Amino acid sequence: MKLLVDIRRPGLALLLSLGLAACGSESPSSVSTTQSAAPVVTFASQVEAGAEAYATNCAICHGANLEGSTLGPLLSGFSWVRRWGTQTPTLLLGNIQASMPPGGNENITEEDYLNIVAHMLQVNGVDGVTEALTASSNFVIEDSISRMVAQRNRPEPPAPEGLTVSGNTEDFIPFIPLTDAMLRDPNPADWPMMRRNFYAHSYSPLDQINTETVKNLQLEWVWNMHEGDSEPAPLVYNGIVYLINPGNVIQALDGKTGELIWEHWTGPANRQDMRNIAMYNDKIIQATTDARLVALDARTGEQRWETAIADNTKGFSNSSGPIVADGKIINGLGGCSRYIPEDCYISAYNANTGELLWQFETIAEMGEPGGDTWGGLDNVFRAGGETWITGSYDPDLRLTYWGTAQQKPWVPVSRHMTIYDVGLFTNSTVAVNVDTGQLDWYFQHVPAEALDLDEVFERVLVNRGDDKFVFSIGKHGILWKNDRITGEFIGFKETVFQNAFTNIDPESGAVTYREDIQNAQLNEWTSACPSSAGGKDWHSMTYHPPSGLIIAPLSQTCLENAAREIALVQGGGGVGASRKFFEMPGTNGNLGKVGAYDVDTMEEVWSHQQRASLHTGTISTGGNLVFVGDLDRRFKALDVSTGETLWETRLGTSVQGHPVSFAIEGKQYIAVTTALGGTSPRTVPGVIATEISYPRWGNAIYVFSLPD
Amino acid sequence: MKLGRLFSLFLFSLSITLVSMNVQAQEVYRARLSPMPTTPQTVTDITGEGEVILTLNGNALSVEGNFSGMSSATTMGHIHNGPPAQPGPVVHRLEVTAASSGNISAELELTDEQVTALRNNELYVQIHSENNAPGELRGWIFLSSHFDS
Repeated sequence: MKLLVDIRRPGLALLLSLGLAACGSESPSSVSTTQSAAPVVTFASQVEAGAEAYATNCAICHGANLEGSTLGPLLSGFSWVRRWGTQTPTLLLGNIQASMPPGGNENITEEDYLNIVAHMLQVNGVDGVTEALTASSNFVIEDSISRMVAQRNRPEPPAPEGLTVSGNTEDFIPFIPLTDAMLRDPNPADWPMMRRNFYAHSYSPLDQINTETVKNLQLEWVWNMHEGDSEPAPLVYNGIVYLINPGNVIQALDGKTGELIWEHWTGPANRQDMRNIAMYNDKIIQATTDARLVALDARTGEQRWETAIADNTKGFSNSSGPIVADGKIINGLGGCSRYIPEDCYISAYNANTGELLWQFETIAEMGEPGGDTWGGLDNVFRAGGETWITGSYDPDLRLTYWGTAQQKPWVPVSRHMTIYDVGLFTNSTVAVNVDTGQLDWYFQHVPAEALDLDEVFERVLVNRGDDKFVFSIGKHGILWKNDRITGEFIGFKETVFQNAFTNIDPESGAVTYREDIQNAQLNEWTSACPSSAGGKDWHSMTYHPPSGLIIAPLSQTCLENAAREIALVQGGGGVGASRKFFEMPGTNGNLGKVGAYDVDTMEEVWSHQQRASLHTGTISTGGNLVFVGDLDRRFKALDVSTGETLWETRLGTSVQGHPVSFAIEGKQYIAVTTALGGTSPRTVPGVIATEISYPRWGNAIYVFSLPD
Repeated sequence: MKLGRLFSLFLFSLSITLVSMNVQAQEVYRARLSPMPTTPQTVTDITGEGEVILTLNGNALSVEGNFSGMSSATTMGHIHNGPPAQPGPVVHRLEVTAASSGNISAELELTDEQVTALRNNELYVQIHSENNAPGELRGWIFLSSHFDS
């Protein structure tokens, strides 16, 4: 195929090469007779061909103008240049070849990829290059963007910065600092942190809205949010709703009326997902998508301090905010798939000053405990272990519990490793001492993960008598039960069909991968369930203390996965696999499932299944209700005891985020967001349940209550 | 005559009993057909849906179904042997309408091993088309009652 590109105008070569690949019949030698017509390949001709190749292979997810869509991030503009400007075309080429397009690249030649890179560079303002790109073009990208071109190609005017709407919550209600004691035992009227309490129960004891009255639930107010990808988890404290918007914008709203009190643009003004913020004393704490930590005055929105969690120019980022444990702001980190010396970590900061207190690295390096589990790889090539979902906290044990993501790339053979190189401390529950940052214990749920099924999601802490447990569900859809003092495995329950493992040891919890997954080679397709949308994904599950049930939002899809080659080159890395998706057999096409599980017996008590995938976390209430929202714009209340749908309404677009319940002056409210984006849990249903349509805009928060 | 009537009555009762046994032995299965593995790039090229009802009497399997909305005319239909979500080899051929919508049918005799595979959900239906020679619609076969809940 390489020969074809050498003998034609690149644009024609691309079409021909793709066409030939499609019919699969013509050999390169059969067209080599036209070799004498070979033109000179230049950067400009690559750009031309790249535009066609991009339109064919990339635009459906990243937009015709590289502007991004709900299926893929933007590939142009300031944030892209910030991310890739200091890199080289070679590294960009390697990254794209390793990961894109997600469905497979067997019909795309290296020349096609080079053309696409040229197109991307040109769109992003590269105007100082004339010679054709090669696989070893090692110039720094931003050195070839002239100031004038960069200015002209900037896609949007400068975004606002700082406080854009001034106000003071004290004009609405006297301010009372949110103390450690209040965080430990939240007022029933409040939802003062993600998932409401340190134990991550996503449970409100409020019961005014209950199985009898929920039928009367009606809209109280709605507030349109900024557009972009978003999985919001609002906070509500003392009658004020604190809302994270796309673009790293925070707003304070009067919970009773929906009146905007203040708005702060922390930036960067992008469309990337961010889930949650935190509150402590008189501050709102925000992690930004470019891996900064910012504290705002909860009353006025004015910035108090800022610190860097990690260097965004090296690919580090955040999609979740912190938990505040005993005055320490504890945050995870994402974007750790690149081959660089720095690893992923959980880090803690002084809530008053932003001063770094400790870091716990989730990747064991050579010479450290667990460092011999990476197949002898140089430290630079040990990647993954992201902590992209906010952890939980046991103030008695002084341990914070986090899930870690899997090794990167996704498949052992791409990592230059085997199924026996388990890669501590990836795909584990880690219990970290909040005072020292030292690892107290870990339990690796799925060693040497091989299908992009990470076990990173929330850890739910449950006390049953004197026993203290930690529960979690990863993308495999397995509900894990561990002792949270020791980490000892207690039990498990498969919540959806899975065929990645042929055995899960009931005594130890050790998993055995199917043999073809164990031995998967480069470009070899393996078929498995669930898909990378999960089982379960970022949507938090709830624990309902009165019934002893964990009620989880689940997903039923499967994937075919093929590993791609990823060279061990510093600065390279990536995820490295092609994927295709399909309905989970035996589910009757029901992608969405709410499952209720008894925490003592681990048995499924009921399930609610539906065609539309679920896009919110579940919350439960003292009114014996579970609330959940879906892709098909439906927001529902289910009976905790039976799973029966007791109430539902339809909102403006897909219902996505994390519902909350709160009370003001004795009146209970239920709030939920609509949003776009959300990564794999949206992409996968988007290619399976294609009949479900929803507006590609309409981020908002809706607040419901009973009639007065 | 009396003996004749008794014999007739005996034959009638026997036939009722046999029919009843036959009904009791019948197992009804169902496959929901949906698109083969797809991506954002191929989602508009691999399309359609369908349903197949399979009735097992002893080792005889009667297959009736339909499909619609495929990207192009069908070329072949098969029953394959593979556990849920894991592709496997063809074990039987099905009759399919050579169009983008149509019917599926077959009267098959399964081996004992295939009956066991059917009961273990290790058979699936796959429909191929002009545009998607490797397959466009697929669905694993489960007891019809599996979908009742």
